[in-house]
Amino acid sequence: MKINIKTVGDIQVIALEGDVDANTAPKVQQHVLSLAEPKSKILLNLTDVPYMSSAGLRMLLSLYRQTTTKQGQLVLVGLGEDIRRTMSVTGFLNFFTTCDTLEVGLTVFDRNF
Amino acid sequence: MEGLTVAGNLEALGAIASYVQAAAASAGLSKARTYNLRLAVDEVITNIIIHGYQESGLTGDVSIQAWIDDAALTVCLEDAGADYNPYHIQDELNCEKVIHQPLEERPLGGLGVYLAMRSVDQFRYERIGDRNRTSFVVFRRSPS
Repeated sequence: MKINIKTVGDIQVIALEGDVDANTAPKVQQHVLSLAEPKSKILLNLTDVPYMSSAGLRMLLSLYRQTTTKQGQLVLVGLGEDIRRTMSVTGFLNFFTTCDTLEVGLTVFDRNF
Repeated sequence: MEGLTVAGNLEALGAIASYVQAAAASAGLSKARTYNLRLAVDEVITNIIIHGYQESGLTGDVSIQAWIDDAALTVCLEDAGADYNPYHIQDELNCEKVIHQPLEERPLGGLGVYLAMRSVDQFRYERIGDRNRTSFVVFRRSPS
């Protein structure tokens, strides 16, 4: 699992590369939760994540709660068909803002926030 | 297929996934059904390792074995962890209710077993002596 973090303007862009399972999710969670500060804008790029188990869903749930509590914004980018299906079956999908590409994802944050 | 036995720790998840993907390829499963089978097996093995072994203070192996016949691919897991009954977990958590809850109010766990049961055509759990056996069946031609 590779975790690449960069900043584009005031948006923190986290790109993951590899499978998110119970073995890799704790490391990802540790990195991404540390970025969830008050009013932070976080874009999680999952374009290069071919697989995500419920351990990954729990990581997303924690990140969602942190950003919501701290009045931040969270956008998910590049969900594959399979991961999208898993998120739909578990009722996760509707809670998240999702975009197909990084370019579009960077434009959907609320600038007036 | 020849079976595989791995030590019951989370580093083994990758090897198990490779085994399941090879079995699914041999059986000619579609990409989506291959993914779902991997997900089901991965979720159950994760539960075995974390709850059956680690939290119970036990160590041991997990064996995986795949069979292919004309109708289906069957994958069978065996472990010597604590008695782990996925049906009880499913009942206790009332997952059908949980998945309709707002994310703010959800419990953090319990989704894995729900996903595992939904991701294959047949799911079976048995306690045999001091071992758990969990079986997953995926039909090679999906009923249309």
